[in-house]
Amino acid sequence: MKTIVAATNLSYKINEKKLFQNISFDVDAGSALHISGGNGTGKTTLLRMILGISKPTRGSIESFAYKDVCFIGHKNALKQYLTVEDNLILLSLNTHINLDKYLTDLDLHNSLDVTVANLSFGQQKKLALLRVFLNDSDLIILDEPCVGLDSNSQQILCFFINEELKKDKCIIFSSHIKLDIKANVLNLDKL
Amino acid sequence: MKIFYFEFLKLRKKSRGWIGPILVFVLIMTAFPLTVEFLNEDLDQAFFSVLWISLMLVMMLATEDIFLEDYNDGSLEQLAIKNQSLALILGTKIFIYWMLIGVPISFIGSFYGFGISRSFDLGLNILPILLVTSYIFLNVFSFGNALSLTKGSVLGTLITMPLVLPLLVVLGKVVITINIGLNYFGFLVLLLGILSIIIVVIPLIISFIIRAHLE
Repeated sequence: MKTIVAATNLSYKINEKKLFQNISFDVDAGSALHISGGNGTGKTTLLRMILGISKPTRGSIESFAYKDVCFIGHKNALKQYLTVEDNLILLSLNTHINLDKYLTDLDLHNSLDVTVANLSFGQQKKLALLRVFLNDSDLIILDEPCVGLDSNSQQILCFFINEELKKDKCIIFSSHIKLDIKANVLNLDKL
Repeated sequence: MKIFYFEFLKLRKKSRGWIGPILVFVLIMTAFPLTVEFLNEDLDQAFFSVLWISLMLVMMLATEDIFLEDYNDGSLEQLAIKNQSLALILGTKIFIYWMLIGVPISFIGSFYGFGISRSFDLGLNILPILLVTSYIFLNVFSFGNALSLTKGSVLGTLITMPLVLPLLVVLGKVVITINIGLNYFGFLVLLLGILSIIIVVIPLIISFIIRAHLE
């Protein structure tokens, strides 16, 4: 199986405090990695390293994804002053063939002309997650994707991720909420 | 090409971001003649000083949140992880700002130049100078804005202001040259030369600064 992300002896230190040390892992196409751990253990930092935004203090990390990485972080990258429809245009999702299906599934189909600032936190999260549902990436990285989501949307997300794994996509996520996704677990608490 | 449309869409909906600087410019240019003696013969020359300085200040105002909003909502993070060049995306963003703010202000400035000097040629001659200068100002102040992205935009733009002061000296010489009827083309080439370096170097530097902020 083709390796999409390979990390070797990763260490990260912030203000002389060691967040984690000598982490090594490979994530192959068609497999998922669940990064778990308590608050402040470095889950988000590790995800940002995989994305290339942050640099490790020691060690190396390589991504072999050909296409743009699909990433949902703590910030939704939505324009608050624009409507849902305008945001979909900005995300280049407005003409996607499956858009209507997911808008209906996530109960956003009646909110297209609503300004994002007027949506609830959960609705904004669902709108951000449309980028995942309509992605064209071989690597999907999700940082706490279920925060603010109702149980129905969580189920839709888990089902979708399991389907994506069957399509040989590589998925790396962090979550405090237990998700029904078949994934290898990297627990930063135990390192 | 999509980035052109996206940036245009955002600015179109966020009218405060581009109409504000244009209105401030119009207000300054309209208010200035009211504050001096109407028959003052020096009005023409003082006008151009006010024109350049207000152009500089308005461009500073225009770049106030050029990157801040994208930084705060996570859009910059998304741009940074794309396979596309971040410098190219940022350079395009500055270009769109220039199209929507710099170009209208240049035409308005040229119109005021014509109105004050009552010389159609003078108004027309300063138009290319205004267009090039406004683009240079936008680039330099965007750089300043990126520097102080998390510390408030005013600080960074103030730090970069000394970089554009030599440009004001050149602009002063341009007006003198035009007024005495000499060819100002050399100055225009000089400004174009500065611009050609700036539009390549500044987006590149900004991309490094923004990556550092994101890290």
